[in-house]
Amino acid sequence: MENNIEIQENVVSLPRIGDKAPSFEAETTHGTLKLEDFRGSWVVLFSHPADFTPVCTTEFIAFQEIQDDLRELNTELLGLSVDSVHSHIAWVRNVKEKLGVELKFPIIADLNKDVAKKYGMIMPNESTTETSRAVFVIDDKQTVRSVIYYPLSTGRNMDEILRLIKALQTSDQHSVATPANWLPGEKVIVPPPKTQEEAEEQINDDSIECKDWYFCKKQL
Amino acid sequence: MSCINSDGKLTQSATALLEAVQNDKHTPESLAKELGVPLFKVRSSLRDMSSMGFVEQIEDAYVVSEGGKKLLNKNK
Repeated sequence: MENNIEIQENVVSLPRIGDKAPSFEAETTHGTLKLEDFRGSWVVLFSHPADFTPVCTTEFIAFQEIQDDLRELNTELLGLSVDSVHSHIAWVRNVKEKLGVELKFPIIADLNKDVAKKYGMIMPNESTTETSRAVFVIDDKQTVRSVIYYPLSTGRNMDEILRLIKALQTSDQHSVATPANWLPGEKVIVPPPKTQEEAEEQINDDSIECKDWYFCKKQL
Repeated sequence: MSCINSDGKLTQSATALLEAVQNDKHTPESLAKELGVPLFKVRSSLRDMSSMGFVEQIEDAYVVSEGGKKLLNKNK
């Protein structure tokens, strides 16, 4: 219990959406990497509880399966757990040998929990020694754009991570929002008008489909 | 020291990177394109090799150093 309280005191609040992503320099399976090495690319920084565990293994294979799709979105994967780089290397080799999948993205060996603490990846009431299943989507300007947390027991959904990044990039590119369950190719939400004049123009615009002045969609 | 093997020789990726900057300076972005390697890995490798004196930074670009040239010749 004392140990738990001590760790809770050390946990820094997780970065919130819109915050500058906390910088770090970390030992990884691909050598020493700094967050700034990724500038110009989007990054999916994700943590997992531990190497050589079944749910994490399924997740890592699933992350690897979407790597090409992510690269098409100018997005790199970066894993993390509180394990040594030798443990990561052994696990990566084991996954290749036993399951036939080569994990090609770098994994941070965060033994001293430096990065995990900066990103609030440890949930002390769930585990004081393992990182939860956190996902930080960081954009090409190194701003946190989305945060997802899953508990130790539940593997993440790769389709949702891909959908999220596509939605964020679509919003950036076209200054629109995306509705519930949106998928690429579907209609997007036109931002609500800020003036009466804009509202009038928007509702009379034939290229926009409006249910009412505040609720309009359009095809990109 | 990810660019040097346990036997003191350059790794394959480090050799490719040094060879690419052997005759002319290159930016990390152009090296990533030329070598088909993610930009973050190029930046990380250049930082390692710069700290070991194998490459020199000239503004935004990198070129092999005298030490780097010697190492490349030793690896042949």
